[in-house]
Amino acid sequence: MSDALESGAPSFLDQFPDEAKLVRATLWSAFIALILGGLFGIIQTLHRTDILRVMDSSYYYTVLTAHGVLMVVSFTIFFLVGVFTWAVVRSLDRPLVDIRYSWTWYGLMVVGTLMAVVAVLGGFVDSTEMSADVLFTFYAPLQAHPLFYGGLAIFLIGSWLAGVDWFRAWYAWKREHPDERIPLQTFMALTTMLMWYIASIGIAIAVVVFLLPWSLGLFDEVNALLTRTLFWFWGHPVVYFWLMPAYMLWYTVLPKLAGGRLFSDPLARVVFVLFLLLSTPVGIHHQYVDPGIAEGFKFIAMTNTMFLLLPSLLTAFTVVASMEYGARRRGGTGLFGWLRALPWARPAFTGMALAGLMFAAGGFSGMINAGMNINYLVHNTLWVPGHFHLTVGTAVALTFMAATYWLWPQLTNKPLFSRPIGLLQVVMWFVGMALMSNAMHVSGLFGVPRRTAEPEYQGFDFTPAFGTMNEFDMQIAIGGTLLFISLGLFIGNVVLTSFGTKQSSLGEDLPPALSGPSDSPVVLDNLKLWVGIALVLVVLAYSLPLASIISRGGLFGPGVGTYPMIVDTFSALIESVAHAGITETLAQFEVGVIVQ
Amino acid sequence: MHIHNYEKIWLVLAMLLIVAFISTVAYGATAMGVDMISDDEETINPDALDEDQRFAEPRVEQVGENEYEAYVVALQFAFQPDPIEVPAGSTVTFYVTSRDVIHGFEVVGTNANVMVVPGEVSTFTVEFNEAGEYGVLCNEYCGDGHHVMEGSVVVVPEEEYDGGDQ
Amino acid sequence: MSTETAKKEIDHEDFDPKGTLALILLYFVILAILWIFMYFIEFLGNDLTVIG
Repeated sequence: MSDALESGAPSFLDQFPDEAKLVRATLWSAFIALILGGLFGIIQTLHRTDILRVMDSSYYYTVLTAHGVLMVVSFTIFFLVGVFTWAVVRSLDRPLVDIRYSWTWYGLMVVGTLMAVVAVLGGFVDSTEMSADVLFTFYAPLQAHPLFYGGLAIFLIGSWLAGVDWFRAWYAWKREHPDERIPLQTFMALTTMLMWYIASIGIAIAVVVFLLPWSLGLFDEVNALLTRTLFWFWGHPVVYFWLMPAYMLWYTVLPKLAGGRLFSDPLARVVFVLFLLLSTPVGIHHQYVDPGIAEGFKFIAMTNTMFLLLPSLLTAFTVVASMEYGARRRGGTGLFGWLRALPWARPAFTGMALAGLMFAAGGFSGMINAGMNINYLVHNTLWVPGHFHLTVGTAVALTFMAATYWLWPQLTNKPLFSRPIGLLQVVMWFVGMALMSNAMHVSGLFGVPRRTAEPEYQGFDFTPAFGTMNEFDMQIAIGGTLLFISLGLFIGNVVLTSFGTKQSSLGEDLPPALSGPSDSPVVLDNLKLWVGIALVLVVLAYSLPLASIISRGGLFGPGVGTYPMIVDTFSALIESVAHAGITETLAQFEVGVIVQ
Repeated sequence: MHIHNYEKIWLVLAMLLIVAFISTVAYGATAMGVDMISDDEETINPDALDEDQRFAEPRVEQVGENEYEAYVVALQFAFQPDPIEVPAGSTVTFYVTSRDVIHGFEVVGTNANVMVVPGEVSTFTVEFNEAGEYGVLCNEYCGDGHHVMEGSVVVVPEEEYDGGDQ
Repeated sequence: MSTETAKKEIDHEDFDPKGTLALILLYFVILAILWIFMYFIEFLGNDLTVIG
């Protein structure tokens, strides 16, 4: 750790101007995705709850796809590459090896996002056959335009190359600092990326080997269960990919904001190693009620999933203890009285603390989701989005927004436009999500499904144990509206900050941990060893289920077709070229919306 | 390695919690007999359901005293048969498959909630003790008419049951 | 920060996070109760059990 820096010292921008520029670009990309994702979010909230329906319900799924992809692929991962770049450069205290290389991976991620988003927005334009109304999970045999799969692949490659960038920086640092422990933030970024590489095997095979060629018409059939299983091979670890930057911020920035220090560096390392080992061999817990997968495999996936709770439970302790340490240094006393001594007026602190509190609640519904047979109760009900709006939608998103209040001044040399607005914003997000998510959880328990434009049926009514369907819809709508306003306040605050005047000495140091890296065994830094074990666990968890699925249905499925049949073999390619002009398509999109 | 005593306490409690969760699920699976959807059935060609003796005519069939089998097809955007009619006091094994894309088969407000994957047959057994009516909905997005995909299970009093044919 | 003056230095061994332990034990109890409620009442008490 670079403990040479003192508060009031040169900022990140002063020390690493090239990297600061790159981080700003990635964060802007994340915020643009957040704005669009939020816009689609409020449209669908009001539609689904029948408060305001501005479009035909058949377009709901285009909106939902855009909301999902923009939020959990673009927003989260753009923010991740930004904050990891900052963390690696800061903790190694050296610049990236070649900034042109860094801009290359950023460019690939932007191009990939634009391709996928154009394909999705094509769903609004009736005059084009292009669409990708397949939702974030894109289960075959629902088919998207090849541009969608191609965009995902390019985005993914960009994220891989970003990881390579951080490894290169680390190798360069290691030559300069032989025999030193990997700085904590770099350790966290590297282990997260190793997990990402392993997890990506699943999605890369699903997209590149099966879905992309299939969408180009090179073959007619896919094995729906196989591509779905490969999706979840990646689809669960990706949630930890979203979460790890938030964990990094909780471990390294939150203690500082609380006025203290990280309680234990060794345990933080153990936690990230556990995530590397256990994040991937668990994906089948999303398929507990799938046919074609033996119950034994499901039980193994559950056992792994339950043990994956351990690093999160350990994190809860270490992070709260770090806050308590800060509070006691600030004069806090009593068993619970120290909570009052925390800096609740700082939006960066309050946002992260509330995000952590929400994660404790989301952790519980996640434990239910992890349970095998209890999945019958909640599978594909509104309970599930209720859960992940607490985790990725709050623990991750709110931490990212709170961290921005702290980090953005160091990237721009401009102080935050308004702390009170920041404070209002994070509290509003918390309250909005509490309302929305609570109602979603409860509705799920009486059977209301997720992912539907109109949860109103002809033949039956939902019968809540208490309250009415209407009341829960109102809670969802009010919560969603608060979230949308909160998002607007956040973006406004960041934009107005950018219009501010430059100041010097906005740099902030991060204090070393109470129990430092020297207290932990050196083996924790042996990344090759952990990758090896992680791969063995993945092989153990997945080889038999995948072999069974392929031997049952064949690589290309037992006669499963294509829905909708949108493209012929080569017209697809021609059409992609024709629509490569993004502005043109966006213009069409606006026209399409007005016409509707 | 340096671990504070309180952290050790929490580590033990966290492990205890994890083991307790797994044990509860195992208890449900064994003592309470909650069975999971599994890979019991062979794969099936979704394009050739018309030639399959179970799914060519989706229906309910009596296979024993108080024992029935329901062959159900999910498609964009309906369930067949609709309604699925069974007598009260019966044990019914469902065989559900898809003609086109992935669907869900959720008997609303109950634990009968499974995925329906084209090429696979989801099979599960439940007991219907009392007469009544359940809604059925698709809970996996299956296309732009997903929200209209619904069906029903009608449990009729035993003496009124006429074989489930409409 | 406003309370800069009140800061005390405490080392890892001397510092017992009693408040954290209390909070986390409370969380443990809540988790245990909610799990039992969800599994035995909401799930096993629900209609239609898949038995085969």
